[in-house]
Amino acid sequence: MTDHSDTTESTEPGRRDFLGMVTTAGVAAGACACAVPFVQSLAPQDSASAHLPVDVDISKLAPGQQMTAVWQGKPVFILRRTPEDLKQLQDAALVADLRDPDSSVLQQPSYAKNWHRSFVPEYGVYVGVCTHLGCVPVYEATTGGDNKGRYNCPCHGSKFDLAGRVRKGVPAPYNLPVPPHVLVSPTQLRLGESPKGESFDFSSIVQI
Amino acid sequence: MKTPENTGDHSANTPPATGLAGWIDQRLPVISAFRAEYVDFRLPRNLNWLWNFGAILTVVLVLMLATGIFLAMNYTATDAGAFLSVEAIDRQLSGGWLLRAMHMTGANLFLAALYIHLFRGLYYGSYKAPREILWLTGLILLVMVMATAFAGYMLPWGQMSYWGADVITKAVGAVPVIGGALEHIMTGSDHLGDVFLHRFFVLHFLMAFLVVAVVGLHVTAVHISGSNNPLGIEPKTKKDTLTFHPYYTTKDLVGLIIFALIFTALMFFWPNLLAEPANYAPADPMHTPADIEPEWYFLPFYGLLQSVPSKFGGLLAAAGSIVVLFFLPWLDRSPIRSARFRPLCRVGLLGLVVAFVLLAVAGKHHAEGVWMIVARLAGLYYFGYFLVLLPLAARMEKTRPLPSSIAAAEGDA
Amino acid sequence: MMKTTRLLALAAAAFLSAPLTTLAAVPEPLVPPHQKWDFDGPFGQFDQKALQRGFMVYDRICSTCHGMKALTYNDLSGIGMSEQAILDLAHSKMIAGPPDVSGQPTSRPGRPDDHFRSPFPSDEAAAAMMGGVAPPDQSRLAVIQPHGADWLYAFLTGYKMPPPADAPVVPGKFYNDWVDGHLIGMPPPLMNGMIQYPDGTPATVEQQARDVTSFLVWAADPHRTARHRTGLWVVLYLIGLLVLAIAWKKKTWKRVKSQ
Ligand code: HEM
Ligand code: FES
Repeated sequence: MTDHSDTTESTEPGRRDFLGMVTTAGVAAGACACAVPFVQSLAPQDSASAHLPVDVDISKLAPGQQMTAVWQGKPVFILRRTPEDLKQLQDAALVADLRDPDSSVLQQPSYAKNWHRSFVPEYGVYVGVCTHLGCVPVYEATTGGDNKGRYNCPCHGSKFDLAGRVRKGVPAPYNLPVPPHVLVSPTQLRLGESPKGESFDFSSIVQI
Repeated sequence: MKTPENTGDHSANTPPATGLAGWIDQRLPVISAFRAEYVDFRLPRNLNWLWNFGAILTVVLVLMLATGIFLAMNYTATDAGAFLSVEAIDRQLSGGWLLRAMHMTGANLFLAALYIHLFRGLYYGSYKAPREILWLTGLILLVMVMATAFAGYMLPWGQMSYWGADVITKAVGAVPVIGGALEHIMTGSDHLGDVFLHRFFVLHFLMAFLVVAVVGLHVTAVHISGSNNPLGIEPKTKKDTLTFHPYYTTKDLVGLIIFALIFTALMFFWPNLLAEPANYAPADPMHTPADIEPEWYFLPFYGLLQSVPSKFGGLLAAAGSIVVLFFLPWLDRSPIRSARFRPLCRVGLLGLVVAFVLLAVAGKHHAEGVWMIVARLAGLYYFGYFLVLLPLAARMEKTRPLPSSIAAAEGDA
Repeated sequence: MMKTTRLLALAAAAFLSAPLTTLAAVPEPLVPPHQKWDFDGPFGQFDQKALQRGFMVYDRICSTCHGMKALTYNDLSGIGMSEQAILDLAHSKMIAGPPDVSGQPTSRPGRPDDHFRSPFPSDEAAAAMMGGVAPPDQSRLAVIQPHGADWLYAFLTGYKMPPPADAPVVPGKFYNDWVDGHLIGMPPPLMNGMIQYPDGTPATVEQQARDVTSFLVWAADPHRTARHRTGLWVVLYLIGLLVLAIAWKKKTWKRVKSQ
């Protein structure tokens, strides 16, 4: 008994402990499997109801006013434009100062790919999330003079016109997105649904 | 266990780490410290299965922290929201029912493993010099884990949570002079509601992490004094010891897997063995459930609490049963550690286990008739063992002869 | 020394003799006869067909008085209902919405992630309308109720109409073998053929009782099938690992023992 057990550890030179490796691998696999419920619980819990259409009563919206509705958890600006507003939107000087005056970037349904970026000219409907870093722009109504109505972003000064089109030389890269919308009656606007015969997958837009 | 091997320079038997590991190790010797404490560390060669519970407790603690953090991400600590948030974890959160089941089973088995761990210490005299501090940190852990488990049990805010809180805050109110103030501070307002729940949520969370810190002290202490062993004699030569790896790593692994099997069986097949169904009904301050009793791991103390006719007396008895353990290293003056060589102590300890179980059974019943007598006898025995039997045994007991060394006892002299 | 021992003994005797009071006779609890259930035991699994029939009974009958607050309509995918069926079901329930601009209460069609609609606006309202006792929520009823499934079945089939001759008659109370005092405010809910199962199963009282009991047990423990199945795999894995670990441990320790 002079050769103590503990010193015999080195009697198997070169031969790796295969059994030990298999067992360790088995333990490691089990530990990884334990992570499954943890990871599962982190899955985003998106509300299915958020995808249902939202009806907005616009009967109390006066010309030149703007209101904010909530659709899919996002603020949606609903703007009732005056005839002057509409004239301004087609003003050459303004158009020359826009990054994407023709809405060529996919930020709206096809039925809003027009000079007023909406279904009917009178009502503008825009997701009120700045395409720069996501702040909510502030509406500034037309008050006469050369103070043209527009949206100003409080965070880094991006400017959009009354059709949600982004000005040149500001940090925001794209026009404000237009959600699918339809006027179901003269006083009721439905967000999240397209007019008959049209369809639009909002998640296909370039960027919010 | 300051054997020559353990105090010595470990680099003697392990080559120094090279490459990136070596670079780090020269600057912050974590790798060599890990090797020294968990690879080359030498333990008595005769440790039995009861020595697995340290590793088991460590693993369960990690599981508790991990599942706890994920539960906390989905839990609401308000009177109105708590119950439904736990329901939502169980029902709507994907994987949530598994997380919750692990946390619940883990809490129960954590306490079970703690009791076994503590009994091991009692039986083999691990509380004696030079391991007094080790013993004390262990007891602090026991108290902290009990507090954590109690606070956790409040969180689902079911009937048992609510009425458990009610009983305990009222019991605290029985402390003379300051009781009323204490009770009011504990409830946090004039009723058990938002403030109470929020405080206990923070307490639960905080305590659990403080447990980790105290575990650090506990483990440091064990690595300084070295492990005790079933013979209760210190290793003398290298022949008496084995390295942690691969000997005790492989043995711990077997113990852990067996423990995991028990865990799995309870969690997947018999979940209601441990859970109290009444806690699936939301807290209702207007209606007390028929049989309110604490979780099984508090039953022995509840038995003691009930066995004394005065409220404060009961509180003292229950608290005293743990306090007395803190004095154990100085109550038991016998130089022999292991109960193997102490016939009287061995029988006495068996009696202690019986008394503890009887107290638990009594705690399950209303304090009347036979159960009252059983609880009182068992309670008397419990305190008698520590305060009378052990001090006397140190003087009177005829102990059996100790072997000359661990190796000799193993037939390897 | 002797003196202290005697004192201790005396004190103990005094302390112990105090509580010798007789135990009051406890009334015999009602133990319902055991039924065979698919979901019983550690390997039991739910029968989804029965669960769907049971939900129909709950939805048509029980839910007029009993809520099931903890469940959402989406949870019914667990009994095998399709996404479309769930959407339609939710849509058919009118749920209280936020007050409108003038502060009037509103209602809206339900959505899949709404919780089951409660039949009463509050427990107080329920108690007031139901003669003083609010019908309990059924989310966890099967686990809270002693003897769970067996009792539910016995209770649902245990109404006696007319009541036995010697039973007291109280207006607004019904005789049932399986409740304390044999009288309960809940009228017999089930009648032969009062609903029609789409799968053609004859809707006898017994069948409805069995089905709705299954559904209530599922509602109280919705992951039972998955729990048992996952558990089985985990046990198998652990046994395999245990064999490996024991072999490894034995091989390692041979170096110590075999000399
Ligand atoms: C020593 C470690 C711990 C022990 C002994 C413990 C014990 C318990 C117990 C007994 C319950 C009640 C189980 C039930 O009936 O639902 C519970 C619930 C809970 N614990 Fe812990 N816990 C520990 C660590 C943690 C940690 C670290 C966290 C969070 C960071 C945490 C968060 C929670 C939450 C949110 C609940 C309520 C959810 C539920 O009831 O399922 N726990 N804990
Ligand atoms: S977020 Fe609007 S300008 Fe930056």
